[in-house]
Amino acid sequence: MITAKEIYLSYDKNRFIIKKGNLHIRDKEFIFIGGNSGSGKSTLIKSLYGDIGLKHGELFVDGHKMKDISDSDLRVLRRDIGIIFQDYKLINEWTIEENIMLPLKINGYSNDISKKQALNLLSHVKLAHRKGFKPNQLSGGEQQRVAVARALAHNPKIIIADEPTGNLDDYSAEVVWNLLRGANEQLGITVVVVTHRVPKNFGIKFRQLSIEDGIIYEVS
Amino acid sequence: MKSLKGLFSFIVPLTAMLITFAIFLFTTKVVDDYKLKISNDYSIVVVSNLPLEKENLNKFAGIKVKNIVTLEKENIISNMKDNLSPKSIKLLIKRLPHFYKIHLEEYPTTSQLKQIKREINQIENVKKVEIFSKNHNQIYLLLLLIQKILIIMFLVVLIYAVIIISKQIKIWFYEHQERITIMKFHGASILYSAGSVIKQAIMAALISFVIVAILLVILNENLSIIFPLELQSVVDIKLSLNEELVKIFILSLFISISTILGVLFKYKLKND
Repeated sequence: MITAKEIYLSYDKNRFIIKKGNLHIRDKEFIFIGGNSGSGKSTLIKSLYGDIGLKHGELFVDGHKMKDISDSDLRVLRRDIGIIFQDYKLINEWTIEENIMLPLKINGYSNDISKKQALNLLSHVKLAHRKGFKPNQLSGGEQQRVAVARALAHNPKIIIADEPTGNLDDYSAEVVWNLLRGANEQLGITVVVVTHRVPKNFGIKFRQLSIEDGIIYEVS
Repeated sequence: MKSLKGLFSFIVPLTAMLITFAIFLFTTKVVDDYKLKISNDYSIVVVSNLPLEKENLNKFAGIKVKNIVTLEKENIISNMKDNLSPKSIKLLIKRLPHFYKIHLEEYPTTSQLKQIKREINQIENVKKVEIFSKNHNQIYLLLLLIQKILIIMFLVVLIYAVIIISKQIKIWFYEHQERITIMKFHGASILYSAGSVIKQAIMAALISFVIVAILLVILNENLSIIFPLELQSVVDIKLSLNEELVKIFILSLFISISTILGVLFKYKLKND
């Protein structure tokens, strides 16, 4: 599903954030990526959805060679990925229902199907009663639940999450972990999560990686 | 309030440009009508030993020949007929050269007529060229001058309008930056991501068109009040309302869409 061979990632020429990174993530795996602040966790996952380009090495995501990937190929890849951001990245002018409908519409689903799926997911994240609310009318935990619902909406092959519970209270964090666990276990979606805290007694099989000084290590 | 201000910044330059374009169309129509009105107020008569062909005469002084009318020799000698015997008339007709009247596609100015005369005279077998014309030069040249000034004015306003409109589109892009980024992360194309900006620009273009259309309809209804009657006797003051509205509608959408595409292309180059 995801293979990296000796990749180098950087925002400028002078300092590599990831050095000689090797990575192999199989289909349907659940991966936690840990490490200290500034170690390069976010940079690594940004490279998985093409938000940062490779300097050296080879990276394949769902069969797409990421070095010099064309615009159209990148769009195709991103339509198969669900991304969860630490700062939610919801569109504030839209209702939460419309936010969840976004990936479905981009993937060509009709308005009716998108609406039905959005409502279904809103029930899952226990926010169906607030479907007409705008994101800024919700708490941080609720917004992140909407972001998770949006990432799941189009049944992607991969979910990439950057610190999805970083700003959340325990209850909201638990809801988010349950959703991601369910996505992996029941829907067979490959999940890659960057987090400081790996939840205890997670309940399903997972693999843990760590990044230190730009080098990727296998923890367990 | 902010979005209204943005819409206003788009509509004002576009409307100004469309009004200039409407004035230009109006002047062109007046000039064309005037040309048609005076088009028969001149005569070019050519006397030639051999028959003349339209193709040989087709281009003089940059003006095309519309048609050549052969003047019947019988008509030319009709005044002398009574004093001549039928035999002499027959002989005279046989001996007479060919007479033609030439009509041009466009009304020529006095200097063009002189040049045409010079050039036709140089054609082999042409014996004589005579030109009879009423002098419409002053009004005609004045109208041409106004038309040329309006073309320049329209181009200047067009350039300014495109600059201001593209700046406003850039502001809209900046305002929608986060939304566009989120959509792109979900695999949307730049056109899909910028859909809200495109919709705003098209809406502004339609509002501009409606404003100009209303102004034109009011102008059309009040032509006799705005322009003095004396002027109407010199030039025909009228609008081809439907035709002008179609042209203005097309221009409004064309300028808006092409400016959006230009800004989108620059945005894509900068952000990819």
